[in-house]
Amino acid sequence: MFGVGNFKANDCHGVSRRSFLKTAAAVPFAMGAGLPSLLEVQAAQERARAKSVILLWLWGGPSHIDTFDPKPDAPMDYRGPFGTIKTKIPGVHFTEMLPRLAQRNDKFSLIRSMVTTDGGHPGAGTIGVTGFKESPTVHPNFGSIIAKHRGNEGTLPPFFYLGRGIPRDLPRRIEGYGGGTLGKAYDPFLVSCSQHGEVNIPTLKMLDGITPNRIQNRKKLLDQLDAAHRTLDGAHIEDWEKTHQAAYGLLTDPKAKDAFDLTREKEKTREAYGQTAFGQSCLLARRLAQVGVPYIQVNWSEYVETFTPNGDWGWDTHIYNFELLQDRHCPILDRAFSALLDDLYDRGMMEDTLVVAMGEFGRTPKISKRAAREHHQHCYFSIWAGAGVQPGRTIGESDARAERPVTEPISPLMAGTTIAELCGVGAQQRAEMKVLDGGRVIHELL
Amino acid sequence: MWSRAVRMILVVMLGLHGIAAGEPRQLTSDGILKRDPCFVDGGKSLLYGYDEQDDLVRVLKLDLASGKSEPFVPDVGDKHHIEPKLSPDGRFMSVTECTGNLTAKLVIRNLETRKDVYITHSGRGGTRSPVFTPDSRRVVYAFAETGPQQLWSVQVDGKDKKQLTQCQGVSNWPSFTPDGKTIVFSNSRENNYEIYSMGADGSNEKRLTSNTIMDIRPVVSPDGSQIAFTSTRDGGYNVYVMNIDGSNVRALTTGLDRDDYPAWHPDNRHVVIVSEKGGRFDLYLHEVPVAGQAVEGKPVAGTGS
Repeated sequence: MFGVGNFKANDCHGVSRRSFLKTAAAVPFAMGAGLPSLLEVQAAQERARAKSVILLWLWGGPSHIDTFDPKPDAPMDYRGPFGTIKTKIPGVHFTEMLPRLAQRNDKFSLIRSMVTTDGGHPGAGTIGVTGFKESPTVHPNFGSIIAKHRGNEGTLPPFFYLGRGIPRDLPRRIEGYGGGTLGKAYDPFLVSCSQHGEVNIPTLKMLDGITPNRIQNRKKLLDQLDAAHRTLDGAHIEDWEKTHQAAYGLLTDPKAKDAFDLTREKEKTREAYGQTAFGQSCLLARRLAQVGVPYIQVNWSEYVETFTPNGDWGWDTHIYNFELLQDRHCPILDRAFSALLDDLYDRGMMEDTLVVAMGEFGRTPKISKRAAREHHQHCYFSIWAGAGVQPGRTIGESDARAERPVTEPISPLMAGTTIAELCGVGAQQRAEMKVLDGGRVIHELL
Repeated sequence: MWSRAVRMILVVMLGLHGIAAGEPRQLTSDGILKRDPCFVDGGKSLLYGYDEQDDLVRVLKLDLASGKSEPFVPDVGDKHHIEPKLSPDGRFMSVTECTGNLTAKLVIRNLETRKDVYITHSGRGGTRSPVFTPDSRRVVYAFAETGPQQLWSVQVDGKDKKQLTQCQGVSNWPSFTPDGKTIVFSNSRENNYEIYSMGADGSNEKRLTSNTIMDIRPVVSPDGSQIAFTSTRDGGYNVYVMNIDGSNVRALTTGLDRDDYPAWHPDNRHVVIVSEKGGRFDLYLHEVPVAGQAVEGKPVAGTGS
């Protein structure tokens, strides 16, 4: 591997494009060194197909063995109570709680060999969406990288979070939610969507009664914004100005307002996604992608905790793992994710929309003494579709008990590098932005 | 939105006046996620779990005559309440209450004295699927204390807690025959959930279903002759009825849209189900075909794959 200072930006063959250029410039005629770099440039350009990314962030750590990587032949204290069903791809089985996705896995590819290096939620969450640990430096979220690369092309912010709040567990939120080293200018813009499809901007809660659907009077809105502004002290004004600008644009621009108005959808479309906050958020994500928002992260929940006062049913199923997957999580995911795939295909958006679904880790294949599953960073899944991802593939394999990969582990850094590459942030741009250092593209997907 | 308003009007009209036999009767129309219905007040009302907010499930009581639902347990604060049941004599209520982070306890409330008894086990965890014995003296529920999830039994005053089963796999969803002599439940020891019956003392266990996918939430009919349950044997979550010995399985619902949480009406002829139709979750009352007859337009249940 060739280094640029301390920085290594790899392409899918593990070699830095900047390094190629540097090497080619130094020995331009030696061994045809210039030829591969041109090919790599061409390959990167060809891969830059994703106008938008929709990341379904399954916060809390979904059980891989109870969903997309079942092990029916494992011992009873591992395999769990669920039966398996055939999928569209011969030889690939999911558990019985995912019948719709089982009939659509010819539209997406599944990675069964994800690994991460942290067993706690905030730490693994940050790794999951930045590729790196939280300290000593907080690296930028994948969405912030795309946002910086694309810039503000329209009224709408380039990076959205759809959900109740910044992902967190009870003690604290994740560090890697936003711009990190790229700066707060690339933080996500947070919008929540209820099970009824009502859209709200949590950062504007101080403006009582303001929602995108209700803004009719520009002067009234400005008065309210200014009144709120006057209540802030100096330390918060800079943040407020940024939020103010983004919110104002979002609330008053007709195109932006339309994007947030789910009632413009046919009722059948809204029904297909399901009347759940996650389902309607997936629909909102599709609408935002449709108007060109580069990166939309749909957060399954704000809290990881699944059965906790104030908890909003994350995937952290230390108790009721089997009951909640069966009663709530899997049916909601199965319906909403399937509807999103169908919708994107039907609208011809799959060619230039990348959809990724993953959490921060999996869950212990060995069933706990509480008849549930704990955190497991050594093996989990991710799902990929669209924007040049070859569908129908099952990439990577876990061992007989779904404890560890028996094939090359795939890391969140690789996931982020692949997302970036497919959005046109090639090795050279990554090196220039000093992001995703050392990552490689998951070429098995392409 | 217009069509939803029309839907609401129709639901109220149909709820008050009934509809043609064989068609399910829609009891709610808000579409909010629901679970765990059970009839009370001799079949005049229903208790059920309801997603009041994204972060709160609480128990509502639906008056079937008026079609109105009201909170059944007031002042729940931020505590999820699921799986409500009333004792057959009407003196006690049981519910699973989220009492802290990753902790849920079985609560048995004396409705006369308003005194609550919390059934505790060591450490974190949660009780599941409480059900009263027909004599209203005990509650049977599922809990995993030190390994495989077992069935437990406790007096309504919280005393004499004891483990009923010693099985491999996950045991859940106990239901009694009306004479109190037989418990029907699901267990996963055969690689997936199957339905079993056993004597109230754990003896004489019999397996009632046999396939490779889940058969869950068995509920014995008030007359003890039939069992309603949920299964994925035909693809999605659907509700079936079978005889108490496991024979004569009949599908009440079909299709990929989810139908779940069956609960018998006291008349033995109807089952209420939480059905997801068009992505909306509501309560529907289904007429149960008599033994030996299929529901019109619905196939005899398959055997899974």
